[in-house]
Amino acid sequence: MVTKSRGMRSQLIALLLPGLLVFGVFTVYPIIRLFWMSLCDMSFSSMLTQPFAGLMNYREVFSDETFFTVFVNSIVYTLVTVPGQMAIGLFVAILLNGIKRFSVTFRVINYLPVVTSWVIASLVFRYIFNTEGLLNYFLWKIVGITSSNIRWLDTRWSGLSVAMILGIWKGIGWNMVIFLAALQQVPQDLYEAAEIDGCGAWKKFVHVTLPGIRGTVLFALIELTIGGFNVFTSIKMITGGKPAHQTDTLLTWMYYKAFSTGKFGYAAALSFVMALTLGLLAIVQFRAMRNKDN
Amino acid sequence: MRTLTKLLSVLLALALSMTACAAFAEETVTINFWHHYSAQSAENETLMNVLIPAFEAENPGIKVNAVSHEWAELHDKVLVSAQSASLPDVARCDIAWLPEFQKMGILTALDEEMADFAEVSGRLLDSAMSTTVIAGHNYALALNTNSKIIFYNTAMLEAAGVEVPATMDQWVEVITKLSGENANGQQVWGWNEPALAGWNICPFIWSFGGALTNEDQTVATGYINGPATVKAVETFAELVKSGAIIGFNAGDIPMTDGFGTGRYAMMLEGPWKSAELAGAYPDVAYGTAPMPAGEGGSISVLGGEDIAMFNTANKEAAWKFMQFMTSEYAETEMAKCGQIPVNKAALESDTVKNADYAPFIEAIQTAKARPTVAAWSEMDNGLTVAMTAVVTGEKTAQEAMDELAAEWDELLK
Repeated sequence: MVTKSRGMRSQLIALLLPGLLVFGVFTVYPIIRLFWMSLCDMSFSSMLTQPFAGLMNYREVFSDETFFTVFVNSIVYTLVTVPGQMAIGLFVAILLNGIKRFSVTFRVINYLPVVTSWVIASLVFRYIFNTEGLLNYFLWKIVGITSSNIRWLDTRWSGLSVAMILGIWKGIGWNMVIFLAALQQVPQDLYEAAEIDGCGAWKKFVHVTLPGIRGTVLFALIELTIGGFNVFTSIKMITGGKPAHQTDTLLTWMYYKAFSTGKFGYAAALSFVMALTLGLLAIVQFRAMRNKDN
Repeated sequence: MRTLTKLLSVLLALALSMTACAAFAEETVTINFWHHYSAQSAENETLMNVLIPAFEAENPGIKVNAVSHEWAELHDKVLVSAQSASLPDVARCDIAWLPEFQKMGILTALDEEMADFAEVSGRLLDSAMSTTVIAGHNYALALNTNSKIIFYNTAMLEAAGVEVPATMDQWVEVITKLSGENANGQQVWGWNEPALAGWNICPFIWSFGGALTNEDQTVATGYINGPATVKAVETFAELVKSGAIIGFNAGDIPMTDGFGTGRYAMMLEGPWKSAELAGAYPDVAYGTAPMPAGEGGSISVLGGEDIAMFNTANKEAAWKFMQFMTSEYAETEMAKCGQIPVNKAALESDTVKNADYAPFIEAIQTAKARPTVAAWSEMDNGLTVAMTAVVTGEKTAQEAMDELAAEWDELLK
C-alpha cells in the first residue's frame, strides 16, 4: 500500500468533508436523535421536558394489540407484493428480451405505472373497488356472476388485497427494467451451450438465466422488502386504516400515533422496531443467497 | 461635499429629536397572532382590513402581527414552537387542541390571571365557554362555534310518507322506513354517518341520556358503559345491521355525494354543508331540523374555535386583543363571513338572525363539548374501535363499552 502524502490526505479530507457533513447532519444525526427520542417519554404532557423513560416506549409497542395487527399486515403485504411483482416483472423482461420489434413501446407501456403518482393511482383503485365502484358494476350488471355489491374495501383482508394489487401493478415496470438489464448481461454462449446439451426453455431458465441474474434478484429482493414495509400512500388513500386500524400498516400506524395522538416516543420506538426487522430480513436474504453460491 | 455634510447634520438632528419624542411616547408593543383563517378567505380579509385596523386605532401603542396557517400546520407548528420557545402571544385554536396545549403547560389560565375574566366571559355563550375549561380553569375565550343538525332530503321523506323525526323513537322508525330500494332499484339508506368517532356518536349517546365521563372528566366507568349509553350504542348498531345507517366503511359512497344523489335520506352535519351542497348539488331540495330528542333531550356536539393566550405572551396587550376579538363588534363582523358568533349580543344582531346558519344557533345552546382532556384523541380512537366491534357484531354493546370504560379510566388518570 502506498502511503499518501500529507497534502494528498488533507485534499482528500477537504473533498470528502461536504459529503460527510451533509450525510452527518441529515442522516446520522436524525437517526441518533430519533433513537434518543425512542428512549424518552414524549407525549403531550411531556413535550417540553421529555424525561428519559428507558424502554417504556418499546414495552408499550410490544404490549399493543394494534401493533401486532399492523405488523402482520406489513409482513403479509411484503410477502405477497415482493414475489408477485418480481415474478411478473421478470416474466415481462424475458418476453421483451426475446422480441426484436416494438421493444421500446412495450417497455414504455410497462413502465407507465411506475411514473404514475401513488395518490392518483390509489384514488383510481378506490373508485374501481368501491362498494358501488367499477368492479362491482362489471361483475353484477355486465357479467352477472354476482347478485349484490361485494364490500371489497370494508374488511381487513380484502381491503389489504386491493392495496397489494396496486403495489404489484405499480412495481412490475421497475422490476422489468432492472431484470431486462440483467438478462442482457447473461453471456449468449451459455444459452448456446445449453441448447447443444439439449435443454428446453424451462431448463435454460432454471440453469442459465436464474444463476446469471442472481445478484440482481438479491438486489431487487432487498430493495422491494424495504419498499414493502414502507407502504403508506396507498393504504392511507384506499382504506385509511379502516375498519378500526385493521388495514393499517407499520407506517400509517406510526404516522397516526405521532401526529394524531402526540405519542412521538412511541412512534420513534416503532420506527426502530421496524428498522431492526428490516435489518434482520436483509441478513437472512444475504445468507440465503450466499448459501446457494456454495 | 459641504452640502452633504449639512444634509447629514440636519438628518442627525432630526433623528435625535425624534428619538427624544419617542422616549416620551409609550413604547409600541407588537403581539403575534396565529390563526387558521385561510389566507384567501373573506374571514382573513375582515381580520386584516377591518378588525386589526380598528383594534390598533382603539389601542395606540399595540400592533398586531397576524399570521395565517393551514389548520393542521398550525397545530404542529405550536407543538414545535413550544420546544424552541418561539410561540406567538395569541392563537385561534380548534377546541380539540386546547387540552393538548394545556397539558403541555404553555397556556395561560385566564380566570386566575385576569381580574376582569368573569365579566368578559359572561358576555359569551356558556356552552361555548365550556370548551375552554380544563381541570377547573379557563384557558381561552370562546371565539366562534358550530354544531350539527339534521339535513333531510325533502323528496325522499315525502315519497316515504314520513315526517321529520322529533324524538329518538320516531328517528328509529323514520330512518328504517326510508331505507330499502329506490325506483331505480338502487339501495338507499335512511341515515348517513361518515365515521364512528366521538364527533359522530356523541349526539346519540347524549340525546339518549347517556354520558361519556363524570362531570370532572376523571372517571368513565358507569358513564360510557352506563345503561343509557349502552342503549344508544345498541340502537345505533341494530340500525346499522338492518341497513338503515351506513357511511363509515372505506368503500361507501361519500356523504355529500350520497345525500346529493338521493341515496342517503338524512344526515347530521354542520353549517359548512349548505355551501358544499349548493356547490356540488344545487338541485337537491333539503330541509334542516334539530337533533331528535331522547331521554337526555336534543343534544348535538359542539365544534368551533377558541382564542388562547400563551405563557410567553405580553399578557396585558394580548388580553386586550382577545377581548376585542370576542366583542360584539368583531363577532358581528366575522358573522358576516359565516363565522357563528359566541358573543351573546352579536347573536341577537340581524346579521346573525338572517344568516344561513340561523337554524344552528338553537342547537348550539344545548350542544355539548366532547371531553376537554389531553387524552381525548386516544379515547376517541378507542371509541371508534369499540363501535366498530359492535356494529360488526364482534362484541355486544355492553362488552365493548365495559372494555372501553376500563381503557378510558386508565387514560383519564
